[in-house]
Parts: sequence; C-alpha cells; structure tokens
Amino acid sequence: MSAPANPAVAAQLRRGARDTVAVIVAYLPFGMAVGAALAHADVPPLVAWASSPLLFGGAGQLLAVQLLGAGAGAVVTVSAVLVVNARFLLYGAALAPHVADWPRRTRWAAAHLLADPVYALVAARFAGPAGSGPPRERRAYYAGVGVTLWVVWSLVTGLGMLLAGALPAGLRLDDAAPLTFLLLLLPMLGTRAAVVAAASGGLAAAAVLALPLGLDVLVGAAAGVAAGALAARSGAAGGPRG
Amino acid sequence: MAETITVAEPLLVLLVAALGTYALRAAFLVTAQDRPPGPLARLLPHVGPAVLAAITLPALIAPRGAVTVVDTVPALLAASVAALVWRRTRSLPLALFAGLGLSVLAHAVLG
Repeated sequence: MSAPANPAVAAQLRRGARDTVAVIVAYLPFGMAVGAALAHADVPPLVAWASSPLLFGGAGQLLAVQLLGAGAGAVVTVSAVLVVNARFLLYGAALAPHVADWPRRTRWAAAHLLADPVYALVAARFAGPAGSGPPRERRAYYAGVGVTLWVVWSLVTGLGMLLAGALPAGLRLDDAAPLTFLLLLLPMLGTRAAVVAAASGGLAAAAVLALPLGLDVLVGAAAGVAAGALAARSGAAGGPRG
Repeated sequence: MAETITVAEPLLVLLVAALGTYALRAAFLVTAQDRPPGPLARLLPHVGPAVLAAITLPALIAPRGAVTVVDTVPALLAASVAALVWRRTRSLPLALFAGLGLSVLAHAVLG
C-alpha cells in the first residue's frame, strides 16, 4: 500500500488508526492472555510468537500452537486451523464489492490483514454514508485499521508471552472481547433483515456452542445469513413491516 | 521423543496453516468484482450481523465454554449496560468501559 499523496488520504489513514484505539484497549487483556497461553504451550517460544504475525487471529493461533505442543500431526493441525478460520472466507466475500475498484496487488496485501476486528471496523465504515469515498481513501482507511491492529496484536501477544509468569491469576477481563464485538455489531442493525440475521446467527451459534473448533460460529453464520436473506425477501415482497 | 521439539518442524506446519488461512482471506477479495453474482449479492449484506452475533452471543452466554451463574450473569449484565450506553451516547469507548466496569463489579460481588 503506497504512501498517501494527498491530505484526504492521509486523513483516512489516521482515522483508521484512531478507530482502532477502543478495539486495542478491549483486546489488551485478550492479547495478553493469548500470549500467556502461547508461552505455556510445548512449542519453541519464537515459533509460538510467530503465529501472531503469520496467522493474525487468536483462536486459530491458540489451536495451532496447542495442537503442535500436544504432538498432533501436520494434517490435523492445519485442518483444524482452517476450520476455525473459515469465517475469513465470508468476510472476504462481504467486503469484495467494496474493494473491487482497488488495484489487485493492494487486494493481495489487504487480504492478510482481514481479521475479526478489522472486518468489523471496515465493514461498518464502508457500509455507512462516509464509506462511498474514492478508492484511495477507502484503501487508506483499511490500511490504517489493518496495519495498526496487526502490529499491536503482534506486540501485545509478545508482551503476554514475556509476562506469562507475572500476570495475576485473578485477572478477569474475559468479557472485553465479546463486548467489543457486540459494540461493533450494534451499528449494523439498521434494518429488520439485519436484526433477524443477527438474532438468528447468535441464537443458532449459542444452541450449538458445544461444537468444537469454532464450528458454532460457522453454524450461526450460515443460519443468520439465510434468515437475513429470507427476511429481506419477505420485506421486499411486501411483508408486514417491510 | 516428545521432548525434542525442533523449531523447523512446527514452524513449517504454522507456515502451511498461515498460507491456507491467507487463501481463505484472499479468495473473494482478490477476485472481487463490482457486481457479485445475484444469489451471492443477496446473501452478502447479512454476513456482518450474522457472523458478529455468532461470535458474540456464545461468548457472552458461556465465557468459559459453559453456562454458569458466576460467568454468565456478569457477562450479560455488562452487555446490557454497554448496549444501553451505546444507544444513548453512540460512543464505543464509553460503552465498552461502562460494560467492563459493571463486569468487574459483578465478578467481585459473585466471587
């Protein structure tokens, strides 16, 4: 992603970086906890840490490092990580119409940064009235969010590994990450179909939360997308509250 | 031989997992078109709400994998307060800190 050449592009880059602040605050405890878990896995520390810049997603990283530490085979480990990270396929599909006018090499670079909070911030921005700006400004915003979170995530998980033995056992901030996702979700609920998609997705995932490997999220996502599409169709066909 | 874990072997597995993950992320982004095929276009607007809710609700109901009073009640209270503060202020940081504050308080009360 090239350096910004005009003030509007630079402003979008800064705006993207600034929008990550609340997410970073929320992710600090989660990132530290992931780091501590990586440090305790039976894998060389540098390899465990390398999962942060390489995989850039806590759930997949924890699974990969724990399976490797437990002596699982390469095929099992890679397959498990891909199942957990299958949601990234959906994120890419959902963002695709917004990035279609970017140069292809920018899209190759943008793909690596597509993690949960990056998707949530960028999708909310692109779907809003300010999201229809010129391609260069949209790219700058994406880079501001993505690069900032990628760097911070690598640093925070590294710090968590270094401080693994010193973190207080009673540190209970498990709610920070889901609260952040909730607050990134709320602005998306502007239509009846979006509310139906979210309610169905959440309830379906909760109903199968015992499933391993993050499959509950995939089941919920499928149910939510289908329900949202049905609600939108019934609305368009003249449903009661269209 | 489980104690002689080398660097190269797990790093290679990690690299393959990262490449696969990258392919998942890139598949639609890199082949993106202005107008996705009709059936896909109708589904895409619902991905965001569906996926984020599917991540959020189970994590709030069962923060440690199971529904318990000491874990579930603080999380749901925190979520209610965060949503309420967001509705009033539209401020993500304010709503987050209000929710987290209540979560810490509820954990302290419930032990």
